[in-house]
Amino acid sequence: MLALRGVGKRFGAFAALTDVDLEIRGGEVHCLLGENGAGKSTLCNLLFGIHVPDAGEIRLDGAAYVPRGPRDALAAGVAMVHQHFSLIDDMSVVDNLLLGQARGMVNRKAYAARLGELADRYGLALAPFARVGDISIGERQRVEIVKCLMREPRVLILDEPTAVLLPDEIRSLLAVVRRVAAQGCAVILVTHKLAEIRTVADRVSVLRQGRIAATSDAPADDIGALVRAMIQRPMEGLDPAMMVTLGMAQDAAPRAPAPHRRATLPPRDMLQLDGITVRDADGAIRLDTLTVTVRPGEIVGIAGVEGNGQSELGAVLAGLAVPDEGRVVVDGADLTGRRPQAFTAAGVGIVPEDRHLVGAIVDMSLTENLFLDRARVPTRFGLLRRGEMRKTALAMMAQFDVRAAGPDVAFGSLSGGNQQKAVLGRELTTPGLKVLLAAQPTRGLDVGAVEAVYGLIRDACARGVAVLLISSELDEIIAVADRVLVLYRGRIVGERPADPAERERIGALMAGQST
Amino acid sequence: MTTEATSTPARAPSWRPHAVAVPQGLLVPVAAVLGAFACGALLVVATGLPLGQAASAFVDGAFGSAYAISASLNRSVVYALVGLGFIFANRANLTNVGGEGQIAVGGIAATAVALAPGVGQLPFGLAFIVPMLAATLAGAFWGGIAGVLKARVGTNEVISTLLLSFIATWLVYWCVQSRQLLRQPMTSAATLPESPAIPEAAQLPLLTGDYASPVTIGLPIAVGLAILVAVVLGRSRLGFQLKAVGLNPVAAMRAGFSTQQTVVLAFLVAGGFGGLAGAVMLLGDQYSLKAGFSSGYGYDGLVVGLLARGSVSGVMAASLLFGFLRSAGITMEMSAGVPTALVVVIQGLIVVAVAGAAFWLDRKQPARG
Repeated sequence: MLALRGVGKRFGAFAALTDVDLEIRGGEVHCLLGENGAGKSTLCNLLFGIHVPDAGEIRLDGAAYVPRGPRDALAAGVAMVHQHFSLIDDMSVVDNLLLGQARGMVNRKAYAARLGELADRYGLALAPFARVGDISIGERQRVEIVKCLMREPRVLILDEPTAVLLPDEIRSLLAVVRRVAAQGCAVILVTHKLAEIRTVADRVSVLRQGRIAATSDAPADDIGALVRAMIQRPMEGLDPAMMVTLGMAQDAAPRAPAPHRRATLPPRDMLQLDGITVRDADGAIRLDTLTVTVRPGEIVGIAGVEGNGQSELGAVLAGLAVPDEGRVVVDGADLTGRRPQAFTAAGVGIVPEDRHLVGAIVDMSLTENLFLDRARVPTRFGLLRRGEMRKTALAMMAQFDVRAAGPDVAFGSLSGGNQQKAVLGRELTTPGLKVLLAAQPTRGLDVGAVEAVYGLIRDACARGVAVLLISSELDEIIAVADRVLVLYRGRIVGERPADPAERERIGALMAGQST
Repeated sequence: MTTEATSTPARAPSWRPHAVAVPQGLLVPVAAVLGAFACGALLVVATGLPLGQAASAFVDGAFGSAYAISASLNRSVVYALVGLGFIFANRANLTNVGGEGQIAVGGIAATAVALAPGVGQLPFGLAFIVPMLAATLAGAFWGGIAGVLKARVGTNEVISTLLLSFIATWLVYWCVQSRQLLRQPMTSAATLPESPAIPEAAQLPLLTGDYASPVTIGLPIAVGLAILVAVVLGRSRLGFQLKAVGLNPVAAMRAGFSTQQTVVLAFLVAGGFGGLAGAVMLLGDQYSLKAGFSSGYGYDGLVVGLLARGSVSGVMAASLLFGFLRSAGITMEMSAGVPTALVVVIQGLIVVAVAGAAFWLDRKQPARG
């Protein structure tokens, strides 16, 4: 149905795609697999008309297909669901669907009826008049999918749709995907989770550095080969935690059950969060009497769908927010209400969930970001010792494998993985590090960077640092943490061992179902 | 994925062949300024004024004599001081629109202290140093008000500094109108109210000691401060702090820098520079406080700061441009009878041409860090 021949796309000197040949058939689910930066999103954007290829040609049903923008793509029957939703929270589901489609008078009832019909056809249940801000992330994604399906597309592109979903939601999404394909539509599904490929893919193409590295017609049998094509390493050598986060839990080597490990740790609390309550500006409770203790050398995972209090918890531990109630105690010292520099001085390192907002300053140099800690900026008579900063920065780049053209490049020019390694490196070298908070530490990173980040976190843990790992990736938490606390609407709603067998139960807790 | 690809600043190089061998860095601004002059000439002709006379008055006013050059340089010093204060605060992403008011309170303070009993008799140049320091403190106080408002309650500094400027300009009126304050005792109906004259000891010494080329010591002071600002912004921890707070206050706070202190400090410094500019005007040029003496120098200084876009050398270049343009304009107005409005239009055209050329060149060469 859709055929690409020799397609290439450059951004300046960077070749995002080179000589891509790809064929997508009607009625198939075609998965695009690849690391971050491999060119998956670029490829989707070419098909959806956001970018124009500089080489090669694309044919749709045999005719040349040259979309100059999303409008052309939609007119030709190519629809796309982006990673980031484009919905208006304050409008209802129906009104969001009507956006850009309404002509003249608006008949909401007729539209709602059409929505019901689509829901039956594909199993996409939605409350037509619910406010989008009130429905879950999974439901919002359904709205986006329905928005596409209403146009009866011939090709549907889904860019990393499962990244934001709970285990249950992923299952129902994949079922929808199958039904859409069964109606004859070609579905392109971008993912880096191998388990999804096993469940849903008819065919798989692997992208690496902008080229098609492998294509498989029987992906379930070729998983090993696909992994090798994606990361250029055999699956066997991978960190078991990596296997789990790739969605290959069942292939991971078994490891020592976590509960036993806690018993071997020093019986003293390095980090104590005692009845922390945080209200937002409107007085709504964001964190509700949260109590967590972490021992030296322990990794405690905080699982939960984003927006359930993780940001507030991170702010409290960074000293950026003062809890309305409760105490923060680090190694016996009460830090409640102290300034950020007091937290740093007490040995608290923070890898924030939003590294561009809290963790780094993108318009400053890499060196300056590695020294983004008032107490550590080397000065003589108030003047910066640039030479020393540069030397230390080079050493840190080597130690934490931060790859950049040099220490003086803008932080923002680094890839996501290298940015994260730089932030992590700075926090891990906090003098007298006792507690590390890592919030969503691997979001958007490629396999190599994820492995490095896990390694660094484990090293810190081996040095006796108490680690609090906040993540919405359930697999990651189970793989890395010693025990798992589930955060739901600002409360800890349950504690489970970090055991793959607990996956379903933790997922249910994350969704707010008490078991 | 793509976001990563596009966010790397790997811009497409321009493949357009260079038509001329002249470096564009020189060609573009020269062409832009010539264009601006041509437009100005058209306007002069269209108004029915003799073009040759206007043009020669323009050149005479700016460079025609040692006196003209000296007067231009003295004006440039005022612009440079306000501009340096502007880029200092601007490093912390703060916009100081209040130069005019800071000049005004600086002028008041300089006059009041210079006229205070005993100050005129101080030795070792203290007779002018003390008033200058007083003016700097007054300006810092005036700027500091905006800083505290911003840090404490988040008042937008553009609005607060602008309104404080209005207050300060009218404070000058009040001071020169009230006998209890700075109004000189004897005025005739023909003169506007003003303060008594600044005693000679409190006037800024001339570099040459010759009134034919009256460049004051304001010039070396401004150059010295420019070097100081360049070092502080570029090489000190304070500069690092200003930059961090300006670019990302949350990350700066997490790194242990207090945003509130930074904001107040930045405004104290910016205001201090404005106040010092006021002292230089009073003690080096006007020699008595008059209503409306700041006459737009603060706002022009703001434009100097904006044109400089954060660089100290930019401030120096822009303040020279403004100083010479202002002198040229005044002469054009007085000796060639060109209306003030037209003079301002021509000056504006030149500023737009220079700014436009700089912007255009920057877009061509995005490699600048």
